[in-house]
Parts: sequence; C-alpha cells; structure tokens
Amino acid sequence: MASPGDIREKLRKKRRALQGSLVKNKNESDTQALVPSTKLRKERGQTMMEELTADEEDLGETLKQRFRAQRQRRKKMLLEQSLAQESNESNVDEISTTERHSRRQRSPEKPADPVVLSRPPSGSQRGLSPLLLSPSSSYSERPQLSPSHSLTEGHQHMPSSVRSEHLMRQRMKEKLRAARFKAESLLQQEPSLEPASRLQSLRHRDRDTLTRFDREVDPDRAERDDVPLARVKFQDVAKRVKQDSRMAGKELPTAEEAYNFFTFNFDPEPQDETDKVKKRRQKQTETAREDRDEEGHSDVEEQEDTEVDKDNEDDHEDRSEETPLVRDEEEDLFIIEQSSQDFIDVRRADYIGYQKRIQRDSELLFTPSLRTVPTSCKLPENMQPRYLEEEGLYVGERPPVSATNENILENRILKQEEGKKWFGDDGRIMALPDPIKESSTRPPLFHMEEDLDPALQTVYRKALTSKYASLYIAGGGDPEGDYQLDVDVSGLIFSHHPLFSREHVLGARLAQLYDQYLTRQHNNLTGHLTDKLNGLRNALRNMLEIHGGQALTQVMQQRISEYSLEVRNTRQLRDSEQEKDRTLLKNIIKVWKELKALRDFQRFTNTPYKLYLRREEVERAADEREYESEILAEVVELEAESEENYQKKLSEYKKQLEEWKAGRRKQKAKKKKKKKKKSQSQDETDDDDDQDASEPDVAEEAPKPEPPEKPDFEAIEEQVREKASRIRRKPGESILIPDMSASGSITANELCPRAELARREDVARHSLFIKVLYNDKEVSRTDSRSLNSDFRVHFGQIFNLKIVNCPESIKLQVFEEVGSSCSLLAEVFVPVPEPSVVTGNVPTEEYEFSSNQRVMFDHEGVGSDVPFSFEADGSNKQTLLTSGKLSCCVSWGIGEDEVPLAPPMSQHTGGIHSGLRQLDAVTCIGASGLSDMKKIGEWARESRVDPNDPKNASIMQLLKVASSGEVIAPEYFRLEQLQEEFNFVTDEELDRSKRFRLLRLRNQEVAEFRNYKMVPALEREVTDKVFQEYEKRLKEGEIIDTKEHLDSHRALVAKYLQKVRESVINRFLVAKHHYHLSDMVIEEEVPSIGGAGPGILGLNLFKLAEPKRPLKPQRKERKKVTAQNLSDGDIKLLINIIRAYDIPVRRPHTSKPLATKPARAFVETFGAGQAFQGAIHGTDWLLGQVQVRPFVEVSFQRTVLQTTTADGPNACWNEELQLPFSAPNGDYSTASLQSVKDVVFINIFDEVVYETGVDDKDRGKSIHTRVEKRWLGSVKIPFSTIYSQAKIDGTFMVDTPPVLLGYTKERNFGTECVYDTVRSLNEGAFITLFITVEPQLVPGETIREKIKEVKFDSQEDERLLQVSERFEREAALQYPNRPCLTTVIDISGKTVFITRYIRPLNPPQELLDAFPNSPQETMELVARYVSLIPSLPDSVSFSGVCDLWSTCDQFLTLLAGDEEEHAVLLCNYFLSMGKKAWLIIGTAIPEGPTAYVLTFEQSHYLIWNPTNGQFYGQSDTFCPLQAVGCLVTADNVWFNIQRYSAPMRISFDVTKANFWKPFFSRSFAHPGLSSVQPEELVYRHIDKAAAAELQDRIEKILKEKIMEWRPRHPTRWNRYCTSTLRNFLPKLELSVGRDVADEHRLELQALLGDYRIAGFPLHLPFSEIRPIIEAVYSTGVHNVEASNVEFALAVYVHPYPNNVLSVWVYLASLIRTT
Amino acid sequence: MAELHVIGQIVGASGFPQSSLFCKWGVHTGGAWRLLSGLKEGQTQVDLPQTGDMAYWSHPIDLHYSTKGLQGWPKLHLQVWHQDSFGRCQLYGYGYCHIPSSPGHHHVRCVTWRPLGSWQEQLAQIFVGGGPQLRTPDLIYSGADRYRLHTEAMGTVELELGIIMRHFDKYGVEY
Repeated sequence: MASPGDIREKLRKKRRALQGSLVKNKNESDTQALVPSTKLRKERGQTMMEELTADEEDLGETLKQRFRAQRQRRKKMLLEQSLAQESNESNVDEISTTERHSRRQRSPEKPADPVVLSRPPSGSQRGLSPLLLSPSSSYSERPQLSPSHSLTEGHQHMPSSVRSEHLMRQRMKEKLRAARFKAESLLQQEPSLEPASRLQSLRHRDRDTLTRFDREVDPDRAERDDVPLARVKFQDVAKRVKQDSRMAGKELPTAEEAYNFFTFNFDPEPQDETDKVKKRRQKQTETAREDRDEEGHSDVEEQEDTEVDKDNEDDHEDRSEETPLVRDEEEDLFIIEQSSQDFIDVRRADYIGYQKRIQRDSELLFTPSLRTVPTSCKLPENMQPRYLEEEGLYVGERPPVSATNENILENRILKQEEGKKWFGDDGRIMALPDPIKESSTRPPLFHMEEDLDPALQTVYRKALTSKYASLYIAGGGDPEGDYQLDVDVSGLIFSHHPLFSREHVLGARLAQLYDQYLTRQHNNLTGHLTDKLNGLRNALRNMLEIHGGQALTQVMQQRISEYSLEVRNTRQLRDSEQEKDRTLLKNIIKVWKELKALRDFQRFTNTPYKLYLRREEVERAADEREYESEILAEVVELEAESEENYQKKLSEYKKQLEEWKAGRRKQKAKKKKKKKKKSQSQDETDDDDDQDASEPDVAEEAPKPEPPEKPDFEAIEEQVREKASRIRRKPGESILIPDMSASGSITANELCPRAELARREDVARHSLFIKVLYNDKEVSRTDSRSLNSDFRVHFGQIFNLKIVNCPESIKLQVFEEVGSSCSLLAEVFVPVPEPSVVTGNVPTEEYEFSSNQRVMFDHEGVGSDVPFSFEADGSNKQTLLTSGKLSCCVSWGIGEDEVPLAPPMSQHTGGIHSGLRQLDAVTCIGASGLSDMKKIGEWARESRVDPNDPKNASIMQLLKVASSGEVIAPEYFRLEQLQEEFNFVTDEELDRSKRFRLLRLRNQEVAEFRNYKMVPALEREVTDKVFQEYEKRLKEGEIIDTKEHLDSHRALVAKYLQKVRESVINRFLVAKHHYHLSDMVIEEEVPSIGGAGPGILGLNLFKLAEPKRPLKPQRKERKKVTAQNLSDGDIKLLINIIRAYDIPVRRPHTSKPLATKPARAFVETFGAGQAFQGAIHGTDWLLGQVQVRPFVEVSFQRTVLQTTTADGPNACWNEELQLPFSAPNGDYSTASLQSVKDVVFINIFDEVVYETGVDDKDRGKSIHTRVEKRWLGSVKIPFSTIYSQAKIDGTFMVDTPPVLLGYTKERNFGTECVYDTVRSLNEGAFITLFITVEPQLVPGETIREKIKEVKFDSQEDERLLQVSERFEREAALQYPNRPCLTTVIDISGKTVFITRYIRPLNPPQELLDAFPNSPQETMELVARYVSLIPSLPDSVSFSGVCDLWSTCDQFLTLLAGDEEEHAVLLCNYFLSMGKKAWLIIGTAIPEGPTAYVLTFEQSHYLIWNPTNGQFYGQSDTFCPLQAVGCLVTADNVWFNIQRYSAPMRISFDVTKANFWKPFFSRSFAHPGLSSVQPEELVYRHIDKAAAAELQDRIEKILKEKIMEWRPRHPTRWNRYCTSTLRNFLPKLELSVGRDVADEHRLELQALLGDYRIAGFPLHLPFSEIRPIIEAVYSTGVHNVEASNVEFALAVYVHPYPNNVLSVWVYLASLIRTT
Repeated sequence: MAELHVIGQIVGASGFPQSSLFCKWGVHTGGAWRLLSGLKEGQTQVDLPQTGDMAYWSHPIDLHYSTKGLQGWPKLHLQVWHQDSFGRCQLYGYGYCHIPSSPGHHHVRCVTWRPLGSWQEQLAQIFVGGGPQLRTPDLIYSGADRYRLHTEAMGTVELELGIIMRHFDKYGVEY
C-alpha cells in the first residue's frame, strides 16, 4: 500500500511529465504555427485559431487570442470604415497602432484593464514606459468610439462582418469540440498538416510582401516546406520560440519568464485572477454574441451564463473595460506592417524620482520609529506601571539589549494585533531573565574556602617559601595567618557509669526527670496552649455573637469553621501536654519513692538527692468552677463537632439513599419491561419464575445505606470527664511542685557494706582525662581527674590550638584510667565553629556521648550493658549503657588587639565570584558537612533561601542536581573515557603498521634505521625485508655467529663488546644531547678594528699595502664547517703525497743464488747483486736511474686514486689527491662521523712494464708491453684519526712486508751516511703525507669532554677528583696542546684515577721462557705479544661516546682495545720484568692523543709503540710520538712543564721539579690508591689445534675471495709454490720478519726458477676475517691480468698464549717466463 | 592510522615587559596519539632584540604523529622566560594553544599569562626578580579551575604552523 503522499507524488510526477511533453508539443506546434498565424491573421486568422487551440491546457488562452484576433479583424474593418469619416482621429490611431505593435508581444498576459497599463515599466520586451501611458491613455478613449460608433448603427456587428462571423462560429464550435475530446495526437497533427497545405498557396501570394516574420521560419518547417529560406536566424527562432511559448504556454512559465516574474516589479494582482477575468470576459463576449445570434445553447454556454449572472457586478466593469480590449485588437490588426524597427524601442533610462520612491515605499513599508514609546501606550487603559522590584519581589536581570533596538521592537509590536500582550506590568517588554542553563554541564565545584587545589598553587621561586605552604589554611594566599582555636573542656557528667550503684541509677534518673520537669516548667507549654485555646474560644464566641442569628456570609462561615478546627487542634495539643506534665510529675514521685525505698532497703545513702514536694493550695470553689466550665466548653465543642459530623454523614446518607432508590427504580422499570415482554410471549408461570430470577438482581445492587447514628451526647460528656480526671489535677486538689536538692548526706564509707565499699573504692581508683584531637591528630589532653562519687568530673581546661591546617574535625576523646591502664570510653565530635564564634561570647555546650562497652563488676556497681534489676526477685530487668554529657566549647581565639584569630571567610578576594556566596552555607553547616549533600539540603530547607535570588543560584542548582541525582560521581577513575568509542583503529592495528614502525625506529635512531632516508608514503610499499635484519638482531641477540668470526672466543668477545657498547651508549645518551654553542652556532669572527691580534686595523691596512708575493703564499685559516649541514659529496678527503724514502728497489731477476749475509751487510750484498741485472731491466739499470718506478695508490671507501709514477726509491710526487667521502647512511652528525670505521689505504706500488712480445704482424714496429703493479707497502690511516686530528702531516713509516719477492732494499750511497744512524733501529720505507678533510670539519668533541660536565659517579675520593680536575684544567690552560690525563673512565662508566691502572703484571711465561738470556729480546717479544692483540679504537667501538679504559684482564679477555690498553699492558709487563717503565700520555702520528710506554735502559730511554711493538730511541726522528704530555706510574702523574714537548728535546727525569709537575706532591700526598688491576694475570694455554683449524679456514676464504675478485680470469693456484711458502711462514714468525728474506728468496728461486715471482707475506694480528680480506685486497695481487699467471697463497696462524694469534698471509703471483 | 604532520616554527614573542626572551615549549597529546618522529619539546635560544619589541626565535617544530582517535588533539604549551642582564631567568608567561585542526598554513598567536602572586611577591619580583610559578605546569593546559588563579596578561607568542593531515578523511573526519 502506497501512502497517500506517495500517490500524490506519483501524480505530481505524471503531471509534470505530461506538462513537459505538452510544452514540447506546444513549442513545436507553435513554431510551426507562427508563420501561418501571422499570415492567417492577415487572412482573417482562421487557421491560427485552430492551431493555437491545439493545446487543451491553453484552451482559455487560445480562446482569448482567437477572440482578440476576431475582434481585431472586426475592428480593422470598422476602422477602415470609420477612417473615412474620422480622418482627424485616424492620425492618432495610427500612432497608437504602431505602438501597439511594439507592445503586441506582451498582449497575451496583459489584460486591457487600466491597472495593467499603469503598472511600472518592465523589461525591454514588454517594457511599457510611463511615458507611454499618456498616449495609450489618450488613446484609450479612442476605441470607445468604435463600439459606440457601431452601437449607434444599431448593432455591434457590422453587416460586412456577418459572413466572417458565421464562419467564425463554425470554427468555434469545431474548436470546442476538439477541446472537449482532447485527443492530443490528433491535435498535434492537425495543425501541422492543415496549414501546410494551405500555406503553400498562401505563400505564393505573399511572396512579395514577406515580412520579417515570414522569414523567421523554423528550420524544420523550412525543410518540410522545401522552400529554402536563405536567411534563417536561429537566434531569432529561439527568441521567437520563447515568445511563443510565453504567448501560448501561459500556465507553464519558461525559465526566462520565471526569472522575469521574480525580478520584475509586478503589481499585486495575482495573475490567475486576471486570467480568470479575461476568460470570463471572453466567455461573456462569446455568450453575448451567441445570444445575439439566437442559437441553441450548449451546456457549456449555459454554465457560462450562470457565471455571468453571478458576476453581474463585474459585467459593468467589463463592459467598460472592453474598450481597451478592442484597442488591443487593433494593434494586432496591423501586425503585418511591423518591421524590425517596430520591435526596437529607444527609450530613456528608467528612473523614478527619489521622493516618489520614498512616497511609494512609505505606502508599502512600515518603519518603526526609534523613539521611546510612552509607557501609557504600552499599558492597558488607565493603568499605572507596577514595578515588582519596588514591591520587593525578586526580578531576574534582563538580558542587555540596546535601547534603540528595544524601541524599534516596541514600536513594531504595538502596531501588531494584540501588541500589548508583549508588555509586562511595568510597561517594559517582557523578557526572560537569564537564558543560561540551570544545571551545569560539568560537575559542580566545591568551594571549600581554604581548600584550593594544590595544582592551582603557584610558587614564588627565588623567594623564601612561606611557612605555611600549600593545602594549609588561608589558601596559600596569606601565610601570615595565625589562627587560634580555643577548646574549652569544662567538665563531664555521667548519666550512667558502670560504677553506678542502683541508687545512683535511680538518682540519675530522678535528676534527669527533674531536669525534664524544670525545662517543661520553664517552657510552660501547657499554659501557652491553654491561653491560646481560651483566646480562640473567645474569638469564636464573639464572632457568633456579633453575627448571631444573621445569615453568615460565606467568608464568615469559612472562618468559623477554621477557628473551630484550630480550637480542636489546640485542645488536643494541650491535652497531650497536660498529660505529659502529669505523667512526668507522677514519674518523678515514683522514682523518688523507689529511691527512698532503696535507701531504706540498703540502709545507706549513696546520692545526695532529695526531693521535696511543695503543695500549693488552691481555692477549691473557683477551681471547681473553672474545671467544670472547662469540661462544659469541651463538651459543647465536642457535641457541636459530633453534630456537624452527624449532619455531614446524614447528608451523605441521603445522597446515597437517593442514588440507591434511583437505581432501584430503574431496576424495577427494567423488570417491568421484561415482564411485559415475557407476558406477551410466555405464560404466567414463567412470569413468576422470572420475577424470582429478578430478585437476586436487586440484591446484587448497592446495599441500602445505613442511616448514621445520632451522636450520643451523654457518652461524650463521660469521655471528657474521664479524660480530664486522667490528665488533669482534680478540682480542689493542691498543686504539687517538686523541688530536688542535692543536699542529702551520703553515708560514710565505714557504715557501708563491703560490696558498696568495694564499689566506692573502685570509683576512687577511676580517673578520667580527655584528649583533644584536631584533624584526627592528638593535639593535647587534659589532666587526669579522678572520678567523684557523684560521677561528675570537672576539667575546666582551655586549650589554645594554633592551627595551620584547615579545620576538618575537632574530636574529644574521653579516656578512663584505672590504675595504669586506660581505655577509650567515648568520642565526642565537636563542630568546627563559625568564624564569628569567638572565645568569650560562647556558652558551653553539652555534648552527649555514650559507649557500648560491656562492663561488669562483682561489687555494687551495676556495670554497663549488663541487665540488673531493682526488684528483689530480679524481675523487670534493665540494661544501661555508659553515657554522659561532656560540656565543652570550641571557639576561635581572640588576639591581643581583639581581633578574632579565625580564618577570614573571604580569603580569596576577587576571582571567585560564584563560589564565594555559598560560603555562608559552608559556615552554617560546618566545613566537614560540605561534602554531604543532605546537610546542605537540610540547611537550604531550614534557612528558606530564596530560590529566585541569583545569589543562591549555585546552591539551588547544587541542590537540584543533588536531589535529582543527575550528577553522580562515578566510583571509578578512567583516563580518556569514551576514547574507545571514538577510536579509528585499535592499538593492534597501529602496531601492525609497518610504516609507522619504520618511522619510529628511524626516529629512535636504531642502528639499522638511523638516517634511513626515504620512508615510503604508502603502507604497502614498506617491505618486510626492511625489518628482517633488525628482527634478526633482536632475535639472535644471544646466538653467536661463528661463521663470521671464525673463532668462537672472539665471537664471544664481540658479543660482549657489543653489550658493553650498548650499555655504555645508553649511559652516555644524556651526555650526547649536551650541545655547545659551537655545535649550534658558527660565529664568524668579525674583523675588529681595535681588537688585539690580526684584527688591528692598522695592521690590516698595512697588509693591504704589502706587495703581493705569490711565491710566498700566506696560510689562511680555513673555515670550519659543522657537520649538520653537510650532505653526500660535500666532504672531500685531501691527500697530499709528497715524497717517499727508501722504497725497495727491484732485484734483477736472477737464478743465481746469493750467499747468506748478515743483516747489517745488506748494502754489500746489494752492491754485489747490482752486477747481475736482468735482461729486461738492463737498460734501466744501465742508465742507473730506474731501480723502481713507484706510484702511490690511495683507496678510501672503495674509491681508488693514484699518483703519477715517479722514479727511484726516493720518489717525489707532490701530488694532491681528492677522494670523496660519504658518511654511513648519509648521517653527517658528529657522532656518526666519529664512528666511521673506514680506513685510508695508502699503498705504494711499483709499476713494472713487461714486454709481452713483438707482434708478428707489425714485425717489430711496435712492441706490446703490459704494465703490472707490484705492491710494495702500505700505510693505513683510519678516517677517525683524520677527523679528530683535522689534519695529518708527517712522515710515516710504510708498512712493508718483511719479504718482498723481487725487491730489495736499496741503499742510496749518497744519503746513507746521513740516515744510517737514525735508521739503525728501523728499516723500511717512509712516506711523507699531508691529509686533511675539505671543508674542515669541526672535530667532534669527544664525549669525554662533555662528560666532564655530566660528572660520572665515581668511587674516588671527592677531594682527589677536585684536585685532578684542577690539575687538568691548569695543564690545559698552560699547555693546551699537551694531553693531560689524570682520571679516566673505566668500562663500567666510572671515573677512575689513572695511576690505579699501573701495576706490575706478569707476562705469559712462554714469552719469558723464549729468550732466557736476552732481556732485550724478551722485551721485544713481549712488545710483539702486546701488539698482536688487535687494536680497536674506542671511538670506533663506542661510536664516539668516550674513551674507556679497560683493565688488563678485561683487555686480554676482550682481545681488543685502544692504544691505552696496549700501553698499560705493556707498561705493566715491563714493570713486572723489573724495568723502569712509564706510561706516556702524548700525541703521536697518526693516532693523535695516545699512550706510549717509556722504559729506561741503562743510560737511555726507549719509547715503545705498544700497538706495533716497535721501539725507538729518544732521539729517533722517525719516532711517531710527537709530544709528551705526562708520564704516569703507579704512584704519580707528572705533567710536562718543559718548554718543548717533542720526546727528543725533553728530559725524562721526573725528579726535576721544573721539568715535571707532579700530581701528588707534598701538599697533596698520595692517598695510597689501590690498583684496579688484578694481582696476577692468568693466561690460557696455546691451542695449536684451533690455530691450525683457523689457518685452514682463512686460507680457504682468501682463496675464494681472490677468485671472486677475478671474475673474468681463471685463477690457477700453484700448489708447489704454496707449500713452499707455507713452510716458510713459520720461520718468518720466529724471526719476526727479519733476516730471512734473501735466504727464502733464494730458496724460492731454486724451486721456481722459471717463474717470475712477485709476492710478499702479510702479517696481521687476528681479530676478524674482514681486516685480513681487506688487507689482501688492498695489495692488488689479484689484479695481475697476464694469461699465464698463477697464484700462490699460504696462511699461517701462530698461536700465542691467551688466544692471541698472529696471522701470516703469503701471497705471490707467478708468471712463467719461458 | 591517521597521520598528522606539524611543521613550522615558533616565530617569536612580543608584548612582554622585557624583550630578552626565550621559550620552552612542548606538545601535549592524548593517549591516542603516537609520536612517530620529531622532538615534542624543546627550548629556544635567548633572543635579545636590538631593535623593536619582538624577540625572534624561529625555532623549528617538526612533528609527525599518528593517531587512533581525535581525542587529545595535540596542544602546544609554551613557557616564555626572560633572561635578565645578570643571566638570571624568570618566568614571563604560560600559554597554550591547540595545534590547528585544519590542514594548511596557519599563523597562530598564543597569548600568555603568568601568575600574579601576592603583593609581596610582586614587590619582590620588581626588586630581586623571580616570580611565582605554577607548582604543576600541567595546569597550563588542563586546569579546569584555572580561573581561580590570579594572573596577569603577558605578551603573545607567534607561531607559524603548517599542518598536513593524512587519512583523516578515511575515518570520517572532515575539515
């Protein structure tokens, strides 16, 4: 089922669709019809009518047009006729007709009535300028002429038009019929077919008189007509279509029309009406015409007639308005003469005068005035404004509105209907007071006056913190606040105590009752009530008397009944009070009697209470009279009451009875009816039955109401009397007044029985004291007071509490002390006083307390919570609990100047507005009660706060919220509640995101991802591969990859190192983030004018004037660049290779064995050998020039550059090589640069040219040679050294292999004498280099320096640290270039004094045993052993974190360490060998700051390089040690304060105070620092098997690698040679690479005479396989490309104790010469 | 999975009684937010403008957050400090502003305030420097009853922030 709405919608749709199609149709037909229409109009428009009426919807419209056309035609004829007669008028006519033509387009919707004519100008098309008004109006008289003219002729219709009229009629009828059928298809076709045929003929005629209209033919039309119209204007067509649609489709406005409709200024008359009017008019004319024609009326016409009748009134108008219609017709008559000029109408710009416009606007618009409306207008007649505020009512604040706006509003409203209802009594517009919501959206804030959120506290830094800091009273605002709370504990009375005797119990009860009596007496409620009752009665009586007999008004009756009700209530109250009085009195007497009985019974007295009963005699007669009258009055009242009651009941009864009767009657009537029915249909018997049956029906109905009983007045009187006798004194009886005193004597102890005595003794033992607790903290306690026999304790102590904290609770604890034990009896809570409550003006208050402790005694004491009885038989048991009253008072103290020492209420001035007001509530309830909603609620109810008062708004709101329970604080606490609901994704999903993970890891600078450049933008582009390595590392953290390390021990060590490194890195992370100014800011030195140094202006000017000396270039300071703004390619490594000395020269290839010679006789051997020059080198040698053609190849980060080839062993290149540098991962941060492990290899090669033979083709014209390079030696300089040194400048010893096959040391005779002395100790080649980085990088400050700021924990004495710091600082100040070390950081990151590292330690016994006779050689061996431990710079291993010193055992375990560790170990070994040894802290090339070892041998000092085991004399020029900073022994540190620091220029005599500055001197003695080194080193024994295994593996790997490096050539291995080499290697190890070369060479020569051998053994300490491979690669042996080359590779691993391994790799290339 | 980039700078501050200023800043986010990269707190240098009142820091901020919800949209809290001629630093203002929540370039001006303290403290501040500071600086951006504080209006910190948001539309967040 579709809803009605749906149906409606559907209908609407359908209609729309229909309309759409219709419009289309219309347009089609209209365009088609247009041409004919114009033509046919000329031809009396017959066809046009048909076509235009094609649309059923536009029936009326077309009709209209048709008629207009008709009229026009008629008119035309009329005019033609009249033209002759009225020639003078025709002029006007013509003008107007032209105008009409122009206006023709709008004629359809423009009814001819004047309203339309006078409407304001519109658009260009239908624009009717006001100017036109006059001609048209002048003309409007004109058409009247013609009808009148025709009318004068007797008939409207001209005789000539009769024929056409007749034709017309027929057409009309056709049309109507067609309209009625509404056959759309038919209608569509009809116009298109009919006119076409007709047009054909027509066009022939009209060809010569074609107007513009004729030309504007629809293209379709033109095609159909197959009359090609040359100038078809599509635009015009389109325009016309629009016009047509406007003309025809009146009901369906086009877009343009719609636009016009809304934009044009239409007159208010609705369009429909005009249409209707038009229609009606047409119909009228039609009917009129038809009437005249006296034809039969169709149904439609009949209807139209009735319409006409209805609109009789209009008819007159219409008649008169018909004239303009005629005029309209006229325009169309001449349509044919329209030219394009007729449609264009040049007019003036439209303008309406301002005044006019205002005038017109004022008619339409209402502008309320801004003036204030007088109050009288706003109020009803004769009313005075009433101001509620003045009457004291609370009126809310009105929202602020500007007066002008209010005035405007008021003025406007007053013009409206019922405008006055918007005004209040005060004549102002009604307004809601406050639009703000009542309940807050956030939970209410509790403003404790002093309790300010600690988070809100501010703290004044750099000022003294106040004594009373946060969360204290005064809200932190006023620390001066000095508050005093006086607690006055006056005393204590027990209303029951376990030690009470029975008499005491009674006595206490008596006292209590008496107290009660006294208070009652004092209040005298009975008296009050009696008076009131009498008053009421009098009033009532008076009222009745005054109006006696007269008819009482409603009001009076009301009042009387009210009074009587009041009387009744009061009487009842009084009665109950009287009864209470009476019972109280009775009780008192009863208790007193009991007490007396008890005293008698026990024969002693415990309590001093005595009760006297005073008897007050009364006048019997008066009393009796009064009594009687009282009773009478009461009786009368009661009677009246019961009477009234009875009357009420009676009336009720009557009503009920009435109802009942009515019901009954109805029932009966029903029954009768029934009976009747039944009597008709049934017998009598049946009838009887029926009646019987109907009986219970009646019974079922409401029972008959009982009449109320008449009140029994007798009984009432009896009741009254009985009650009076019960609660009232009997008449004449004397009034008893009890009077209690405590004047009785207590029986002395001696006279009491034992039980009582025991009780009394017990009482005496008891004592009480009271603790005062403030905020649950005991602040003071009273003195202990013993319990008196009357169980009253008097303390009378006042405690002055100086408080700082906000008072939350004041508690008094009553303690009972028995002997030494004390127990808490009860607690009394005392409210915190209001600030106004100050000492002196407060009465002591009594606070009741009780305790439910169960106490039992075996004496007379009744105990507590124990049942006891007064009766002898033990019945009527009672249980009493310890209870009592504590009288005390708490108030605020008063200061000296009468200022109350209470915290002020308005502690927070300003800032707190809303909260402040509720403070009175706070004080009222007491601070502790604030959190209790109930209390606040109670308080609010009691104090009757005005709920309208905005002052109380917060409280009211609070109460409202509290009572409605809207805001309930949840019992749990949750951070970010609702987060779950709004989550986009879950955490897991977030975690799963690989991209985020990558980003995060990169941010965390995890090693694998540090400086990871591009993180993909899309999740899917992040491959899992990225994490593989990282995850593997995480997973396999523990597993050691032995494959990579070859040696399990070293793998473990590497693992350990890694761990240490990580922990250290974490430790130093903080230090890393310390930046210096220079890290961040590069400050260019501004050349100053007045400053010292080069900045002096004069000097600079002088320099400018200086002649340029290009041959003496000045050194310019290079600009330093910080690492952060660098990128790849910015940094270049500049290596200046200057010259080399003593490069080995080629040995002529010879098979002649040479005799062995001593080492020092090299020269001779060589000299002898010179004769045996090879054939190949013969020419060179003969020239005596080329012994070797060395060049230097520098490889760094796999970039290889080489110098030109020079000649001779002492080659000079002086070339600069630039190598690009790229940091790992593109990270140019200092830390990253410091940890660059890359090494600059500077290899010296010999370029050897071989003739490969003469090419056969050329026949000796060209000789083919092959260039080979032979490795001669290398220098390795780590980049980290270059980076930290900024530049390296010096002569380095080339690391040449001990044996170089085919080469020999050349001794230049000329220079020998010069160098001989200095070369005595070290032979080898030297190379002079200058290396730097361009641009100059700011050398990364080692963290060590930063660490100095970060201070590490240390176990050293604080004093020592301070002294060492000072020592270092002074040293740095004096000699900035001399390193000074006093404290170092050990591997656990602690600062350790350096001397602790020095301690004699035993070297491995094997080494000592090797050369038992030669200490010199032993030393060398030990040094070699130390050097074999791989060197691993700390800055590399700890990535620039710091320089860590490990102890010797750690070093030996790690088997990797810095120079320091080597030096320390070597020094310790020497010491243990009984040498005098020092540790030198200095700078060396290329290491930079480093440590060497100094030993003293007999008369000279030796300087040992611990990393390579070399030693130098003090005067050795090639000693790499450049500067000596300090010397360290186990006892002291000496700093070099000599002028020079170079070792050969200083004295090592530390005893000279002016040369060496000791750290420990007399002023600061050596504190006896223990060593951190172990006492003894334990070495593992040599593991030869492992070494052999390692040897095999290395060999295998190297062979694989060499083959790998030669991918395009086959690599053949010469096994024979290999085995020879392998045999030779151990010898090399034994001789430490010395003195075996020639022997070996000869040996080889003998074996492989046919080969040209080039090769060398490499020696390395073993750490990992990688350095070995690197070293082999760098020699470039594999680069030999001769086809017949063979290789030989032998590896030898020599094990030393403790797994120190010496690796020898012998590499040779062999080329068969024959 | 939505991501937010905040790239911009703390341009500087103006309107403070003294212009030798530096700024401590930090970004506070709710629990739903994760910092993917960037530093979320820091401190600028001290700028001592030679001319004019404005201290320029041009301190870069570059943060990349991912979030699983809108709650706890990042807030930038700032503390402006003044370094006097003796090198002492004293607090000149607290302020916080939300990171703009629409993408694009934003010019944010963050006004600052500082606790006023008692008159003694104010007096002390005039003569010996220092000043009251919040015990709990969290209050800068989370204080529900901050209105109870006595504060004094200080200058304005200017920030230029470029916001890039990603995938927010995927979760129905339109901006």
